[in-house]
Amino acid sequence: MSERYDIAIIGTGPAGLEAAINAKIRNKNIVIFGNKDLSPKLAKAAKVNNYLGLYNLTGTELKNKFADHIEDMGVEIVNEKINNVYAMGDYFSLMVNEKVYEAKAIILATGIEYTKPLIGEEEFLGKGVGYCATCDAPLYKGKTVVIVGYNKESVEEANYVSELSGKTYYIPMYKGEYNLNENVEIINNKPLKIVGDDVVTKMILDQGEIATDGIFMLRDSVSPSQLVPGIEIENGHIKVDRDMKTNIDGCYAAGDCTGTPYQYMKSAGEGLVAALSAVSYVDKLHENK
Amino acid sequence: MIKEVNDKNFDEEIGNSENIVVVDFWAPWCGPCRMLSPVIEELAKEMGKEVKFAKVNVDENPMISSKYRIASIPTVMVFSKDTVKDTMVGFRPKADIKKIIERHL
Repeated sequence: MSERYDIAIIGTGPAGLEAAINAKIRNKNIVIFGNKDLSPKLAKAAKVNNYLGLYNLTGTELKNKFADHIEDMGVEIVNEKINNVYAMGDYFSLMVNEKVYEAKAIILATGIEYTKPLIGEEEFLGKGVGYCATCDAPLYKGKTVVIVGYNKESVEEANYVSELSGKTYYIPMYKGEYNLNENVEIINNKPLKIVGDDVVTKMILDQGEIATDGIFMLRDSVSPSQLVPGIEIENGHIKVDRDMKTNIDGCYAAGDCTGTPYQYMKSAGEGLVAALSAVSYVDKLHENK
Repeated sequence: MIKEVNDKNFDEEIGNSENIVVVDFWAPWCGPCRMLSPVIEELAKEMGKEVKFAKVNVDENPMISSKYRIASIPTVMVFSKDTVKDTMVGFRPKADIKKIIERHL
């Protein structure tokens, strides 16, 4: 880790991009994480007629306008997925697998596409339910573990867990080839519910149930409370004030992740406010040094 | 000052303490634990007079880890004598942990 950015922006939808250009205009050293397609929702829109000044465009045309704009401003998107953001005090650590980025302030513009938690998942978090198999696998030495895998990466984690656990079940939530170790049992049923008393005891499926000591939910997109431990959520959205500040100092949020209405213009507006708030937060940090 | 505590001296160090004790259950292979340890160190500097800070390596101390049913790490527990007053699972920002510890002062 060599460089600490002023502002890290997570997400490349309208909120994230608007935040990026405004932080850039204010001469901040920024990094923005997402992908070059910007936002899958944008590409899917048939017609957009409520974006002031840009009308009668398809989602893809609007996306191309956004892409031209950020390119002109010299904003480059880092195509990496942030797994976790840790509030360290006066800076944030952003984890990408084994890599770490650091930033003084962050703006969450992750949209709202994460899968709903299973019944019992939040209740038993830390009591048998986990999101990081490689982190907690050694605690399940010789025990039974169920892995619910939403992506290909989860296969690797299942294999790793199977080397330590007594018995590993893998429930794939996507179609494909699963390169699993021989001792991993694939269950092709739908998980419905996690039950237990003090700790997890079993997973209920649409057909049958599995008695288990631990359950790992390995998803592609994570909810904000998993992404940023300690962040306050209200009615399924990140709680923000008028400055787009969350309950964590230096952490801002913008766009769909903060609540309805889910609209491009609202997202962009919030991204602007979040960027200006983050800029003044970073400036204050410097004054205090 | 963070005291390394193990299966052998846990009861003595935690149960006999006049102050409340904050115990960080961690392991060297756990990324979030590595992020949390500097946060705990800062808290130890700030609150060290009123609160005792300790850490348990769950790899080396399976008895204590299973006694307190550590199923996910990092886990931070607040003890008063031999009673668990609060449990925090996973990484938490410094301000959060501080608030929870202050509840028990």
